[in-house]
Amino acid sequence: MNHHQKPTVQQEQAAVEVKTAFAEHLNQFNASCDAVRDIEGNQSAIANDAFKSALLSRDQNKTIQTDDGTEWRHDLDLSKISSVCHRRIAGQIEFAVVESLSLKPGTEMKEVLNRGDNVREVLQGFIRDQRQVLRLWKEDLNAQVKEHLAEKYPGQDMSLVADSFEYKITQAISETYVHAQSQSHGMRV
Amino acid sequence: MAIDNEPTQTATPPPVERLAYSIEEAAQMLGINYHSIYRLIQRGKLKACRALRGKLLISRDELLKLVKSE
Repeated sequence: MNHHQKPTVQQEQAAVEVKTAFAEHLNQFNASCDAVRDIEGNQSAIANDAFKSALLSRDQNKTIQTDDGTEWRHDLDLSKISSVCHRRIAGQIEFAVVESLSLKPGTEMKEVLNRGDNVREVLQGFIRDQRQVLRLWKEDLNAQVKEHLAEKYPGQDMSLVADSFEYKITQAISETYVHAQSQSHGMRV
Repeated sequence: MAIDNEPTQTATPPPVERLAYSIEEAAQMLGINYHSIYRLIQRGKLKACRALRGKLLISRDELLKLVKSE
Protein backbone atom coordinates (compact mmCIF):
# COMPACT_ATOMS: atom_id res chain seq x y z
CA MET A 1 0.00 0.00 0.00
CA ASN A 2 1.16 3.50 -0.78
CA HIS A 3 1.11 5.28 2.57
CA HIS A 4 1.01 8.69 0.91
CA GLN A 5 -2.44 7.85 -0.39
CA LYS A 6 -5.46 9.25 1.35
CA PRO A 7 -6.99 6.66 3.71
CA THR A 8 -10.22 5.08 2.58
CA VAL A 9 -13.43 5.64 4.51
CA GLN A 10 -13.12 2.14 5.94
CA GLN A 11 -9.55 2.76 7.07
CA GLU A 12 -10.62 5.98 8.75
CA GLN A 13 -13.42 4.13 10.52
CA ALA A 14 -11.01 1.40 11.56
CA ALA A 15 -8.60 4.00 12.95
CA VAL A 16 -11.37 5.50 15.10
CA GLU A 17 -12.45 2.03 16.20
CA VAL A 18 -8.89 1.05 17.17
CA LYS A 19 -8.48 4.28 19.13
CA THR A 20 -11.63 3.45 21.09
CA ALA A 21 -10.78 -0.22 21.59
CA PHE A 22 -7.31 0.61 22.93
CA ALA A 23 -8.24 3.81 24.75
CA GLU A 24 -7.35 2.44 28.18
CA HIS A 25 -4.01 1.12 26.94
CA LEU A 26 -3.22 4.46 25.30
CA ASN A 27 -4.17 6.41 28.42
CA GLN A 28 -1.98 4.26 30.64
CA PHE A 29 0.85 4.20 28.10
CA ASN A 30 0.91 7.99 27.72
CA ALA A 31 0.71 8.44 31.50
CA SER A 32 3.68 6.10 31.94
CA CYS A 33 5.67 7.96 29.28
CA ASP A 34 4.92 11.22 31.11
CA ALA A 35 5.98 9.71 34.43
CA VAL A 36 9.29 8.46 33.01
CA ARG A 37 9.82 11.85 31.34
CA ASP A 38 9.28 13.63 34.65
CA ILE A 39 11.79 11.43 36.44
CA GLU A 40 14.30 11.76 33.60
CA GLY A 41 13.90 15.50 33.44
CA ASN A 42 14.29 15.91 37.19
CA GLN A 43 16.81 13.20 37.89
CA SER A 44 19.49 15.60 39.12
CA ALA A 45 17.12 17.25 41.57
CA ILE A 46 15.74 13.88 42.67
CA ALA A 47 19.26 12.54 43.20
CA ASN A 48 20.21 15.65 45.21
CA ASP A 49 17.11 15.43 47.38
CA ALA A 50 17.59 11.71 48.02
CA PHE A 51 21.25 12.24 48.88
CA LYS A 52 20.40 15.05 51.31
CA SER A 53 17.64 12.98 52.87
CA ALA A 54 20.01 10.07 53.38
CA LEU A 55 22.72 12.31 54.90
CA LEU A 56 20.39 14.10 57.25
CA SER A 57 18.21 11.18 58.24
CA ARG A 58 18.75 9.32 61.41
CA ASP A 59 15.86 7.18 62.55
CA GLN A 60 12.96 9.39 61.60
CA ASN A 61 12.54 8.11 58.01
CA LYS A 62 9.99 5.37 57.43
CA THR A 63 11.45 1.86 57.39
CA ILE A 64 10.72 -0.50 54.51
CA GLN A 65 11.63 -4.16 54.67
CA THR A 66 11.99 -5.69 51.21
CA ASP A 67 11.26 -9.30 50.27
CA ASP A 68 14.98 -10.17 50.35
CA GLY A 69 15.02 -9.33 54.06
CA THR A 70 16.97 -6.07 53.84
CA GLU A 71 15.77 -2.96 55.62
CA TRP A 72 15.71 0.46 53.97
CA ARG A 73 14.94 4.01 55.00
CA HIS A 74 12.53 5.84 52.74
CA ASP A 75 13.88 9.04 51.17
CA LEU A 76 11.36 10.10 48.51
CA ASP A 77 8.65 8.77 46.25
CA LEU A 78 9.20 8.37 42.51
CA SER A 79 5.64 7.22 41.91
CA LYS A 80 2.75 5.71 43.84
CA ILE A 81 4.57 2.38 44.02
CA SER A 82 8.29 3.16 43.74
CA SER A 83 10.56 5.16 45.99
CA VAL A 84 14.20 5.98 46.55
CA CYS A 85 15.51 4.52 49.80
CA HIS A 86 18.86 4.10 51.51
CA ARG A 87 20.56 2.02 54.17
CA ARG A 88 23.87 2.35 55.97
CA ILE A 89 26.31 -0.51 55.73
CA ALA A 90 29.85 -0.38 57.13
CA GLY A 91 29.84 3.42 57.24
CA GLN A 92 28.70 3.69 53.61
CA ILE A 93 25.30 4.66 52.25
CA GLU A 94 23.67 2.30 49.77
CA PHE A 95 20.76 3.62 47.71
CA ALA A 96 17.95 1.67 46.12
CA VAL A 97 14.77 2.10 44.16
CA VAL A 98 12.17 -0.01 45.97
CA GLU A 99 8.84 -1.00 44.50
CA SER A 100 5.83 -1.90 46.66
CA LEU A 101 3.19 -3.65 44.62
CA SER A 102 -0.10 -4.82 46.10
CA LEU A 103 -1.49 -7.85 44.30
CA LYS A 104 -4.86 -9.52 44.53
CA PRO A 105 -5.74 -11.35 46.71
CA GLY A 106 -4.10 -9.35 49.45
CA THR A 107 -0.41 -10.06 48.80
CA GLU A 108 2.33 -7.46 48.57
CA MET A 109 5.67 -7.47 46.79
CA LYS A 110 8.41 -5.21 48.13
CA GLU A 111 11.32 -5.48 45.79
CA VAL A 112 14.65 -3.74 45.27
CA LEU A 113 14.73 -2.77 41.60
CA ASN A 114 18.07 -0.99 41.42
CA ARG A 115 20.76 -0.46 44.02
CA GLY A 116 24.22 1.05 44.42
CA ASP A 117 26.29 3.60 46.33
CA ASN A 118 25.79 6.33 43.72
CA VAL A 119 22.23 7.60 43.83
CA ARG A 120 22.45 9.14 40.37
CA GLU A 121 23.54 5.84 38.84
CA VAL A 122 20.78 4.04 40.69
CA LEU A 123 18.27 6.46 39.19
CA GLN A 124 19.79 6.09 35.73
CA GLY A 125 19.49 2.31 36.00
CA PHE A 126 15.86 2.68 37.03
CA ILE A 127 15.14 4.99 34.06
CA ARG A 128 16.90 2.58 31.66
CA ASP A 129 14.69 -0.25 32.93
CA GLN A 130 11.60 1.91 32.53
CA ARG A 131 12.55 2.57 28.91
CA GLN A 132 12.79 -1.18 28.30
CA VAL A 133 9.37 -1.61 29.85
CA LEU A 134 7.94 1.07 27.52
CA ARG A 135 9.55 -0.62 24.49
CA LEU A 136 8.12 -4.01 25.51
CA TRP A 137 4.72 -2.38 26.00
CA LYS A 138 4.95 -0.67 22.61
CA GLU A 139 5.80 -3.92 20.81
CA ASP A 140 2.95 -5.75 22.49
CA LEU A 141 0.49 -2.95 21.81
CA ASN A 142 1.41 -2.94 18.11
CA ALA A 143 0.95 -6.71 17.95
CA GLN A 144 -2.42 -6.42 19.69
CA VAL A 145 -3.58 -3.74 17.25
CA LYS A 146 -2.50 -5.83 14.24
CA GLU A 147 -4.33 -8.85 15.62
CA HIS A 148 -7.41 -6.76 16.32
CA LEU A 149 -7.44 -5.34 12.78
CA ALA A 150 -6.86 -8.76 11.18
CA GLU A 151 -9.77 -10.24 13.11
CA LYS A 152 -12.12 -7.32 12.63
CA TYR A 153 -11.30 -6.61 8.97
CA PRO A 154 -10.24 -9.96 7.49
CA GLY A 155 -8.65 -9.85 4.06
CA GLN A 156 -8.45 -6.04 4.02
CA ASP A 157 -5.30 -3.99 3.98
CA MET A 158 -5.24 -2.10 7.27
CA SER A 159 -1.48 -1.59 7.37
CA LEU A 160 -1.97 2.17 7.13
CA VAL A 161 -4.06 2.11 10.33
CA ALA A 162 -1.55 -0.14 12.14
CA ASP A 163 1.40 2.00 10.99
CA SER A 164 -0.31 5.19 12.05
CA PHE A 165 -0.97 3.73 15.53
CA GLU A 166 2.63 2.54 15.80
CA TYR A 167 3.92 5.97 14.78
CA LYS A 168 1.84 7.62 17.49
CA ILE A 169 3.15 5.48 20.33
CA THR A 170 6.72 5.51 19.02
CA GLN A 171 6.51 9.28 19.05
CA ALA A 172 5.33 9.25 22.69
CA ILE A 173 8.48 7.34 23.70
CA SER A 174 10.76 9.45 21.50
CA GLU A 175 9.39 12.67 22.93
CA THR A 176 10.15 11.31 26.38
CA TYR A 177 13.75 10.69 25.36
CA VAL A 178 14.29 14.03 23.58
CA HIS A 179 12.70 15.93 26.47
CA ALA A 180 14.91 14.13 28.99
CA GLN A 181 18.04 14.81 26.99
CA SER A 182 17.32 18.55 26.87
CA GLN A 183 16.37 18.66 30.55
CA SER A 184 19.36 16.77 31.90
CA HIS A 185 21.96 18.37 29.64
CA GLY A 186 24.69 20.03 31.65
CA MET A 187 23.26 19.09 35.04
CA ARG A 188 25.34 17.30 37.59
CA VAL A 189 24.88 15.99 41.07
CA MET B 1 -36.10 -49.86 29.28
CA ALA B 2 -34.11 -48.69 32.25
CA ILE B 3 -32.93 -45.68 30.33
CA ASP B 4 -36.46 -44.24 30.38
CA ASN B 5 -36.16 -43.71 34.15
CA GLU B 6 -32.84 -41.87 34.03
CA PRO B 7 -33.01 -38.11 34.51
CA THR B 8 -32.44 -35.97 31.41
CA GLN B 9 -28.96 -34.40 31.45
CA THR B 10 -29.58 -30.68 30.87
CA ALA B 11 -26.94 -29.26 33.25
CA THR B 12 -24.52 -26.78 31.65
CA PRO B 13 -20.94 -28.00 31.30
CA PRO B 14 -18.46 -26.64 33.88
CA PRO B 15 -16.54 -23.55 32.72
CA VAL B 16 -13.29 -24.41 31.00
CA GLU B 17 -10.25 -22.95 32.73
CA ARG B 18 -8.23 -20.73 30.44
CA LEU B 19 -4.63 -21.69 29.80
CA ALA B 20 -3.36 -18.16 29.17
CA TYR B 21 -4.43 -14.56 29.61
CA SER B 22 -3.77 -11.27 27.86
CA ILE B 23 -2.02 -8.37 29.60
CA GLU B 24 -5.37 -6.68 30.28
CA GLU B 25 -6.84 -9.80 31.81
CA ALA B 26 -3.74 -10.46 33.90
CA ALA B 27 -3.75 -6.85 35.15
CA GLN B 28 -7.38 -7.16 36.12
CA MET B 29 -6.84 -10.48 37.90
CA LEU B 30 -3.89 -9.16 39.90
CA GLY B 31 -5.50 -5.77 40.54
CA ILE B 32 -2.61 -3.76 39.09
CA ASN B 33 -2.18 -1.49 36.05
CA TYR B 34 -0.76 -2.51 32.67
CA HIS B 35 2.58 -0.85 33.36
CA SER B 36 3.12 -3.02 36.43
CA ILE B 37 2.42 -6.17 34.41
CA TYR B 38 4.99 -5.18 31.78
CA ARG B 39 7.44 -4.33 34.57
CA LEU B 40 7.00 -7.78 36.08
CA ILE B 41 7.65 -9.33 32.66
CA GLN B 42 10.69 -7.14 32.04
CA ARG B 43 12.14 -8.17 35.43
CA GLY B 44 11.48 -11.85 34.78
CA LYS B 45 8.95 -12.09 37.60
CA LEU B 46 6.26 -13.12 35.14
CA LYS B 47 7.11 -15.24 32.12
CA ALA B 48 5.15 -14.33 29.02
CA CYS B 49 4.92 -16.10 25.69
CA ARG B 50 4.07 -14.65 22.30
CA ALA B 51 0.97 -15.60 20.34
CA LEU B 52 0.97 -15.98 16.56
CA ARG B 53 1.03 -12.25 15.76
CA GLY B 54 3.45 -11.41 18.58
CA LYS B 55 0.93 -10.48 21.26
CA LEU B 56 2.07 -11.34 24.80
CA LEU B 57 0.18 -13.95 26.79
CA ILE B 58 0.69 -15.04 30.37
CA SER B 59 -0.10 -18.57 31.40
CA ARG B 60 -2.49 -19.26 34.24
CA ASP B 61 0.28 -21.21 36.02
CA GLU B 62 2.58 -18.16 35.92
CA LEU B 63 -0.08 -15.95 37.47
CA LEU B 64 -0.78 -18.49 40.21
CA LYS B 65 2.94 -18.92 40.84
CA LEU B 66 3.41 -15.18 41.29
CA VAL B 67 0.56 -14.83 43.75
CA LYS B 68 1.62 -17.91 45.71
CA SER B 69 5.28 -16.92 45.87
CA GLU B 70 4.50 -13.63 47.62
